[in-house]
Amino acid sequence: MFSFTKKQETFDISGIKIGGQPGMNPTVLFGGLFFKGEPDFRFAEKNLQNMYNLSKKTGNPAIPDFFIKKEEYIEEIISFIEKNIPKNYPFSVDIIEPSLKIQTLEILGKKNLLSRTIYNSIHVGITDEERKTLKKYTPEMAIIVAFNPKDKSPDGKIEVLENGAHLTDMGLLDIAKSVGIKKILVDTAAMAPGDNSGAAISAIPVIKEEYGLPTGCAIHNVVEKSKWLNFFENARKTVDASSNINIPLFGGDFAIFGPVENAELVFPIIAWQDILISEYTENYFGIAPSNSHPRRKLS
Amino acid sequence: MKQEYYPWGGEFTDCSPDGCVAVVLLNIEYTPPDKVAIYGSLRTENIGIEKIVANVISNPHIRYIIICGDEIRGHRSGSSLIALNKNGIDKQHKIIDAPGAIPYIENIDEEAIKRFRSQIQILNLIGVKDKKTIDKTIDDCIAKKPVSFGEPYIAIQIAPEAKVNLTDKRALHSKIIVDYMGKIKKRGE
Repeated sequence: MFSFTKKQETFDISGIKIGGQPGMNPTVLFGGLFFKGEPDFRFAEKNLQNMYNLSKKTGNPAIPDFFIKKEEYIEEIISFIEKNIPKNYPFSVDIIEPSLKIQTLEILGKKNLLSRTIYNSIHVGITDEERKTLKKYTPEMAIIVAFNPKDKSPDGKIEVLENGAHLTDMGLLDIAKSVGIKKILVDTAAMAPGDNSGAAISAIPVIKEEYGLPTGCAIHNVVEKSKWLNFFENARKTVDASSNINIPLFGGDFAIFGPVENAELVFPIIAWQDILISEYTENYFGIAPSNSHPRRKLS
Repeated sequence: MKQEYYPWGGEFTDCSPDGCVAVVLLNIEYTPPDKVAIYGSLRTENIGIEKIVANVISNPHIRYIIICGDEIRGHRSGSSLIALNKNGIDKQHKIIDAPGAIPYIENIDEEAIKRFRSQIQILNLIGVKDKKTIDKTIDDCIAKKPVSFGEPYIAIQIAPEAKVNLTDKRALHSKIIVDYMGKIKKRGE
């Protein structure tokens, strides 16, 4: 459990606070929707409600992360957001295909949803057209993925943030700022086992001390890629959910925890971990937990 | 055999060591027959492709790669592998004309890529999921009885240089130090 010398930024999006010194704000949890198959909106509605209820009980903010993989899904997913996400709540859009990113930003802009949008994500594959579109339709917040195909260590992750590691004309932080994004979250890019998977966690305190920016990752992806867990099928869900405690333990601020239906396990585990950290950081570093912290809600 | 011919590891199954075909599985539920040399799934257009390159040039008997199944959305890994075989990489290590989001080859040297492009012919079955069609393509390749490409080529994984020699036991990382309570500060400040 840590505390940082560097001043830590706390960003607000629609009332949710992300960042700060460990023990101050609860860990923010991103639950994913529509990763597999065709979007099942009824199933999503039920799971979304469940995640919000868990968030209310624990104090850990919940942000739905909408995976958009086909052009024909853009409109219907955005309509779903308009109907099912409370008007003052944020959400993130997780898109790989550059052309879909552009189309989605345009629609979010036209529907006045950008002030609640977390753009997931900016990485070294950013295109010129994507930059132009981000400038015109600027989301309130963006996740920068510190993936460096050459160097997966914390140093490599810093390199892409700082100067783009010769893959982009400037560092990813400067790219985000150049398009007008002021609230930046850093995702430390969890890699598969065998590809320095631990660096996604060890990079968290390094990046927080370097930049003071809210930092986290999708560490559960490493569990998904641990094929040997197939021999322990009963344990897989528990391992998947509990992998997320590494993030707050190393000072991180948010966890992208995978399918929203896993919220049932993830929220109590992280609330428990946040309480543990808060008791330590208040005693040793004088960091008082915020009013919505699980330590105030549950203990 | 895995140790001997396929030193880079990854999610693959090795079958016939003298087989001339490697099968790359995109989005598809299909198990190739044992007569192929190796098969496995491909997800990413960078590290995934590097592993395939390293693990086929290490076995000179492999002369064909068959890519099958639906393309990986966004990553376009199958098409990026085809682009690498056809065009190589530019000075920025980017696969020329690859449609993937981050198609950079950073951990394998140009010699290895050159060898890959000479040794391997790719058969593009992207979008094809029909077992019969894929099986027939495998049989057609085997029927050509291609000769071995010669000596195995063991690609060296390029490791980033370590810049700091750590002797400080409190160190969590080269850029920061942590005191006994857990207070972090930047190294050298």
